[in-house]
Amino acid sequence: MSFEVPKVSYAGKIRKTPLGQEGNTVTVGGESCYPFHLFEGEMPCPPRIAMEVYDSEPEDWPDTALEPFADVIKDPAAWARKCIDTYGAEMIAFQLAGTDPNDKNITADEAAEITKKVSDAVDVPMIVLGCGNVDKDTDVLKAICEVCEGKNLIIGPVVEGNYRAIGATAIGYNHTVVASTPIDINLAKQLNILLGNLNVPDEKIIIDPSTGALGYGLEYCYSVMERIRMAALVQEDERLQFPILANLAREVWKTKEVKVLESEAPLLGDVKKRGILMEALTAQCVLLAGADILVMRHPEAISLVKESIKDLMTGN
Amino acid sequence: MSKIICSAAIRGAHKIVGMAEEKYEEALKKWGPDQKIGFPNTTYYLPIIYGMLGIPVDTLGDVRQILDKCKELVPPPVSDNVWLPYLAPALEAGMATYFAEEIIEAILYLEQPDFYTKAEDTLPDNIWLGAADDVIMRKRGVEFVDGSAPGFAAILGAAPSNEIAAKIAIELQEKNLYVFMCADHEGKTMSEQLVEEGIQIGWPTRLVSFGPSYRAAVFAIGFATRVAMSFGGVKPGDFKGNLHYNKDRVFAFAMPLGTVTDEWYANAAGAINWGFPTIADTPIPEVLPTGICTYEHVVSNVPHDKIVARAVEVRGLKVSITKVDIPMSYGPAFEGERIRKDDLYFECGGGRTMGVELTISKDMSEVEDGKIEMIGPDLDQIKEGDKLPFAMLIEVAGRQMQSDFEPILERQIHHLVNYVQGIMHIGQRNIMWIRVGKAAVEKGFLLKHIGTAMHAKYHQDFGGIVDKVQVKIYTDEEKVKEVLELSKKVYKTRDERVEGMTDETEETYYSCTLCQSFAPSHVCIITPERVGMCGAYNWLDCKASFEINPTGPNQPIIKGECTEPVLGQWKGITDFVNKASRQKVEQISAYSLINFPMTACGCFECIATILPMCNGIMVINRDSRGMTPCGMKFTTLAGMVGGGNQTPGFLGVSKHYICSKKFLLAEGGLKRVVWLPKMLKEELAERMKPICEEMGIPNFADMIADDTIGTTEEEILPFLEEKGHPALTMDPLM
Repeated sequence: MSFEVPKVSYAGKIRKTPLGQEGNTVTVGGESCYPFHLFEGEMPCPPRIAMEVYDSEPEDWPDTALEPFADVIKDPAAWARKCIDTYGAEMIAFQLAGTDPNDKNITADEAAEITKKVSDAVDVPMIVLGCGNVDKDTDVLKAICEVCEGKNLIIGPVVEGNYRAIGATAIGYNHTVVASTPIDINLAKQLNILLGNLNVPDEKIIIDPSTGALGYGLEYCYSVMERIRMAALVQEDERLQFPILANLAREVWKTKEVKVLESEAPLLGDVKKRGILMEALTAQCVLLAGADILVMRHPEAISLVKESIKDLMTGN
Repeated sequence: MSKIICSAAIRGAHKIVGMAEEKYEEALKKWGPDQKIGFPNTTYYLPIIYGMLGIPVDTLGDVRQILDKCKELVPPPVSDNVWLPYLAPALEAGMATYFAEEIIEAILYLEQPDFYTKAEDTLPDNIWLGAADDVIMRKRGVEFVDGSAPGFAAILGAAPSNEIAAKIAIELQEKNLYVFMCADHEGKTMSEQLVEEGIQIGWPTRLVSFGPSYRAAVFAIGFATRVAMSFGGVKPGDFKGNLHYNKDRVFAFAMPLGTVTDEWYANAAGAINWGFPTIADTPIPEVLPTGICTYEHVVSNVPHDKIVARAVEVRGLKVSITKVDIPMSYGPAFEGERIRKDDLYFECGGGRTMGVELTISKDMSEVEDGKIEMIGPDLDQIKEGDKLPFAMLIEVAGRQMQSDFEPILERQIHHLVNYVQGIMHIGQRNIMWIRVGKAAVEKGFLLKHIGTAMHAKYHQDFGGIVDKVQVKIYTDEEKVKEVLELSKKVYKTRDERVEGMTDETEETYYSCTLCQSFAPSHVCIITPERVGMCGAYNWLDCKASFEINPTGPNQPIIKGECTEPVLGQWKGITDFVNKASRQKVEQISAYSLINFPMTACGCFECIATILPMCNGIMVINRDSRGMTPCGMKFTTLAGMVGGGNQTPGFLGVSKHYICSKKFLLAEGGLKRVVWLPKMLKEELAERMKPICEEMGIPNFADMIADDTIGTTEEEILPFLEEKGHPALTMDPLM
């Protein structure tokens, strides 16, 4: 008798979600099996990596992360171009960290202007992520939706406190939303239901169930992502069948481990290699948990993960 | 629907459609069928026609088919000898009215391009703004969806005086509503009245002067129709989706001020299609039954000082309060604060003085929202250390309010009052106790502010069931006594209601899937006699929780046919559990430990399991740390029960359920219990008494072994035999 690999039978499927505008569309989702279980089902759209660009010059980045972008760090549009031209970015994740009232407090109108400039400069799908302050994000993202009408930006984080304002604006100006919830499958599902009630079309929703960095609560986040995928694929939970975004770079690059110099902690080894590996490994983990879009920073970490995706997709 | 209203609306529709026909013929002669027509800068053509029919009217030639449609819709005039209900024909007449009015207005744009300002603001010589273009609609319309402007009041006509007009406008503004104005009453318009009063009108102040004619009502309705298409993703032509969207999301209503003409009736009938009711100041007939609109359709003869409040109530608009307006900080951080003797300024209740707090529901007309009354001296009228009796009577009213929710709301008083910085609250009902610290009084805190806080928090946390809240605080002894007497009556009724509620008397049970985040296949079923195993959610809590958060974890389940009365199985429950556990759990029994026991999350207060040698059941509570006769401690047992698994012989239960008449009915109920930790036995003693008496074994509690008797089956069996425990002679458990 020959050996047969036991197979999971899947009842559900992740929604195929086209991002970007006509001519530069990238489609994510569509999985009918657990991540890379290609012997059981299909992954028609391999996971994608979005490269980070910031609205203003970052102040707390370690040299490892700064170095590749040193020449463009003051100009978000040029930065985005460099990601595409030099590093082959398939998507841009524009981070509006500077809009935080506790940071530079960039106004909604200024943020909209910068975003418009960057979006005009890129020809790949663009994710736009607010600072995480519920009220400020509402103002900022609404303004951005308006000036970038028709570009099908992927805007977030849309949370329970502002989903109506941002969700409705996104419908009005034809953008996709990132529904963010704090590491809880029930909250994730509830927000998706609420967005549905608001009439946000299903193919305009990406979910972000929260990500931590390696060693900083990643395992909990991993479990929640995994659970979401299980509910979506095996238990046919329709309100969870959405592609997952993992906004991981900002988590990784603020940890102690990527910053401490070798001279201060010789046991930890080379600081550059360490940072790149921290990011690559975090990315690899969420990839295996089911993430479809990885928001990443360092070009070398990105190329490591890209290679891994390629290997996993071809079964090598 | 009132025959008078219907007849008038249908007459009005005939006139307006006739006028559109005339205007169209005239225009056709002058410009020909290829002439472009429409409202300025919009991609929605004539929005009501586009939204309802999906037909883009782009040229004069396109108008013909719309007029034909109008004729199809308008019913024949009402005859005197037919007495049918007229709702449907009147609604269709109203719809045709809007189509016709859009055509007339579009032709007006053609004839007099400068009739309207086509801007956000009024001009010095022209106050009529006309249709909002897409830029204005996008900017303003999203406010309807995100709630920053819940909706609009479409005002037709004019108030009897400029002052009243201004007052109504300001009141509406305070509710964040847009005011869309059109039509005149005896030659006067509300827009002109406001201008004369020196009030700035235009989109920026939300006082929108659409036009001088009643026909300008189409700009308001067209705006709402476009909002649904733009922000609701509703497709043109999906009239059902569009109308529902507006009914559910755009809190709009029509407010005719002055004589209601046939044409006004036609417009009002049209608005009902969108779920927008009419609230009039004149004595026109009323249409009260609920149907198309959320509540009443036409409410009339409302005095001007009440008209805004009444409109808000009829349309079902929720009051939103963002801040608790008291001189102290407010929040959960202050909940655990203690006021010690040395810091004490004033205290009441708690055995020091009479004290009582009570929440009751009233009819909508009996409660004035936001009214906080202080009867008797407040803190600024007494000296430090003075004592006063205290009574707080909170009266709430709401369309979704039920008397069953009163105790749930009342139970919140404890933590909501504790949230006030510098205040300590202990107990509930007539054993409540409040202490106010010196620091609070220095900052100007008054007892009245407790009422302010309760009003705000009830709206914030329970907006789903509460529409109006008024609070009365008494420190006058006679009045406090009155409230105390009232409270005794209320508590008695409440307690009887809860005791009288059985699983048989209710057709609906509730689910709780709050814990699915860590126990994905677990579903709790909560019945009147089986409190959730965590002890935190009873049947009434679930009922209220569902009203407040309809997409939340507590969903109503129609229990359906009872298939196993002793095990506690119902068809509806089986189907639900199967689906909600995603086929992991096939069947559950509400009353059995052995046959399909209910799954558990991990939050259970206690665990019940079998002691085979004693032919009985033991229950252990979470706080009990020691060994048990089953050979496992609580922590080990918890590992076997939790995680959403069905483990026959092991069950998570709440303390409350142990004293329920339905406790493990299938295994013989409380009579089977042979061992409890001493601490749990003592805790339950009072509540067990009546059940033991009912069983005919008044001293049953003494027959139950505990950890002082033994922690192995061998140790407790002789004790049970000596006491003659009934379990020993019952049918074998296994």
